[in-house]
Amino acid sequence: MSDEKNRKETTTRDSLAERRGVETHVYQPAEDSGLLAKAAVEHAHGRTLEVGTGSGWVAAKVAAETDADVVASDLNPHACEQAKARADELQAERKDGFDVVRADLFSPFVDGAFDTVLFNPPYLPTDPDNEWSDWMEVALSGGESGRELIDPFVDDVGRVLADGGQALLLVSSLSGYDEVVERAEDQGFDVDVVAEESYPFETLSILRLRL
Amino acid sequence: MKESLMDILCDPLDKSDLELEVDERDDDEILEGRLIGTETGEVYPIEDGIPNLLPPDMRDD
Repeated sequence: MSDEKNRKETTTRDSLAERRGVETHVYQPAEDSGLLAKAAVEHAHGRTLEVGTGSGWVAAKVAAETDADVVASDLNPHACEQAKARADELQAERKDGFDVVRADLFSPFVDGAFDTVLFNPPYLPTDPDNEWSDWMEVALSGGESGRELIDPFVDDVGRVLADGGQALLLVSSLSGYDEVVERAEDQGFDVDVVAEESYPFETLSILRLRL
Repeated sequence: MKESLMDILCDPLDKSDLELEVDERDDDEILEGRLIGTETGEVYPIEDGIPNLLPPDMRDD
């Protein structure tokens, strides 16, 4: 690898680390997690899946503060372990735990399984020449567009939603708000915004998708 | 995982049913065992209460 490439890669990584905290394997709760949790506690009902749960913080809030029956999934084995530890703790404290499944998006879930699906996706647009290939990148990077994980979520979530089901999806202005809304509408969803907050670098919105 | 999770799980390869085999449980929590695709025969391990339902080509750790 050239020195120049190496330096660019380091710069990208450090700036992301600075903005997002310095855990190396598992994304830890931040402003986006807080906003999704707030919306989910207000709106989640029935059997609820959190995709890409990371540390399991949002799933635990929903399990503890609503009547929803929560399942959390992640691709990252370290995330699954952290989420499971959190679930076991909650179960021991107040009999309000949740299940953790290692999965790639919706692939091991049956059609119509969920009344609510939650997702705080990896959404930071990333230069493909500057990828660094570790679990933190998987947790943060949304590819060149920022929508590499959002697009398959929007395309496939309808399959696992029950009648009257809903998806709550966090979208950042950094990854293109209009493009996500348009894609969801093309998939036949009614889209509304149930929470929104602005920060110096981005505006975060929670979109509710209903068929 | 709780046994009730079986209601919503399927084989990630072809969405067919899974069969549960339990080695160790603690009350209604299944700690160790496996899920087996009834059509594909693929084995998905359950370790420390976490079923690993990644398709085999993604299970590289």
